[in-house]
Amino acid sequence: MSELFDAQLVGTAIRQATPLILAALGGLMSERVGVINIGLEGKILMGAFAAALGTLLTGSPLVGLICAIVVGLALALLHAVATQELRTDHIVSGVAINLLALGLSTYLFRQIIVPREEAGESSVVRMFGAASLGGLENLPGLNALLKDQSWLTLFALVLPFLLLVLLTRTRWGLRVYAVGNDSIKARTMGVPVKRLRYLGVLWSGVLASMAGAFLVLAATGQFRENMSAGRGFIALAALIFGRWHPLGAAGAALGFGFFEALQMRLQGQPVFGVQLPTDLLLMLPYLLTVIALMGLLGKMKPPSDLGN
Amino acid sequence: MFRARLLPALLGAAIVLTVLTVLVAAAGKPVGKSFLIILQGAIGYPRTEAFSPADAWDAVLHDMTLLVLTGLSVAIALQAGLFNIGAAGQLLAGALAAAWVGTLQGVPMHSLVALLGGMAAGALWALVPVWLKVRRGAHEVISTIMFNYIALYLTHWLVTERLKDPASDAPQTVAIAEAARLPLLRDDLLQASWGLGIAVLVALALWLVLYRTVWGYEVRATGANRDAADAAGVPTARRMVEAMLLSGALAGLAGAVEVCGTQYRFFEGFPSEYGFDGIAVALLAGNHPALTLVSGWLMSALRSGTYHLHAETGAPKEIATVLQAVLILYVAAVYLRRRRIET
Repeated sequence: MSELFDAQLVGTAIRQATPLILAALGGLMSERVGVINIGLEGKILMGAFAAALGTLLTGSPLVGLICAIVVGLALALLHAVATQELRTDHIVSGVAINLLALGLSTYLFRQIIVPREEAGESSVVRMFGAASLGGLENLPGLNALLKDQSWLTLFALVLPFLLLVLLTRTRWGLRVYAVGNDSIKARTMGVPVKRLRYLGVLWSGVLASMAGAFLVLAATGQFRENMSAGRGFIALAALIFGRWHPLGAAGAALGFGFFEALQMRLQGQPVFGVQLPTDLLLMLPYLLTVIALMGLLGKMKPPSDLGN
Repeated sequence: MFRARLLPALLGAAIVLTVLTVLVAAAGKPVGKSFLIILQGAIGYPRTEAFSPADAWDAVLHDMTLLVLTGLSVAIALQAGLFNIGAAGQLLAGALAAAWVGTLQGVPMHSLVALLGGMAAGALWALVPVWLKVRRGAHEVISTIMFNYIALYLTHWLVTERLKDPASDAPQTVAIAEAARLPLLRDDLLQASWGLGIAVLVALALWLVLYRTVWGYEVRATGANRDAADAAGVPTARRMVEAMLLSGALAGLAGAVEVCGTQYRFFEGFPSEYGFDGIAVALLAGNHPALTLVSGWLMSALRSGTYHLHAETGAPKEIATVLQAVLILYVAAVYLRRRRIET
């Protein structure tokens, strides 16, 4: 058992959870202002592509990250205009954005990146190195968690607390609460509903595309077709599992990251003499979310004005 | 008439053609020739020596069978006000169930039983999400997405660990019995089976049921305005459950038809994306069962055409995916605006 659960597993879990936390908090910003966001998956994917392309062209992962954020903002703007100006159904728009991202990223990958590889260029881009915390990461207790993590991971670990303060301790947070729960009343009280909704959706674009950038710039070093691989939907699950609360969502994302790390560790390795099927472990986050939706873990209450 | 109906349709067609032109040109392919190749893949003409119209129709009618069924699945749920985004998972459940029933010995009317088995599995896969919706108020989109992934991993586990053909190296089930197979439309085709006939019959039957029966009227009333339907005495929760089970059964039928008509087995990586494509088919048809025949054919022709372009010139086949996304956004923005009502 000791070789199964060690510090390295926890480190891997945090790394696996990073994109989930970022995307889940992105989804949270959008859903808290009442806009359903099925399109996280697409924003992660396009973010990953833009990060790879930007870094490949300039050699700088920071430029790659900025490219990812710009593309994420563009997709988010599309969702915001579709749902707020054209009054499109939030889910239909999200489904279309996921399809668009899948199609466009693969199309552009084949058009731009693949030919460059044939010219002999490396497909692995320069990645962000491990963040330094001024020695803090070498402390006994913390080194397992924080050693060799990129600063994107550290950002993802701090962000839920920042958002919590922002949402519960500021005027802006109160307004977000008002818009998400009764936009008509909020508007009557003079809250700029539309502006807050745009902001919330745009934030989801920034954070989800950062999640995609993380996959390329801190995890694998290269773009692969459909590399988001359902992470946007797991992030959505974490958001619900965490009951639309920043700490809850981040906690659920960490939990799901732990399952992924455990599944990677368990591949081909029996536990107490039993071979656990990896498929069933991968299924666990989704199954847990369904159980949570069943109300077995207390009442799940989304923002009441969601989807209007 | 022109402004209300024809203009948006023409504008939509213009947008799709423009995007297509841009994507083809950006891929460095000659636009005029590419359009001819797409047309060839879509309807078989202009005929060339290497590519006969039958090749095109084989692919188009095969895809159309699946897209009409998944399109009907999404449409019937939407008519009841439910967004069944889980057709992909229900399709997988139906396909695996049909593949399993198809291998059993001594089953009378084997193909029919296999198809029914697929429908039952698909309905079962839709049961929990709709129960959560009606009883717990959980959004069906979230729960059906979760069930898609559960189906993906569960069927993958089953086909690699439990139901794998021991004689094969590939993770796939044993081929189904001859009696469980649906005949192909013509002997020289490879994929298009009489499943198409089933799909057409189901579409017409649903049209009658939705627009000519009290049950259908109540389903549509539930979808149009649940509160009003409730007030008028419609058992809306019941109708939603029934519509969703029917929706799951139709997606399961799509999987079963693919197994019994074309693949003859379940295998790792079974094409479940037809379930997602059904969303576009349903939206494009305005959720009308008879019109899904048209939109299902249109989408299949588009797919087959761009795939042919891919095979002939190497242009990325994801052009079809992008076009589908543009089409969904356009249809949703022009035809499917939200009314401000409580959900």
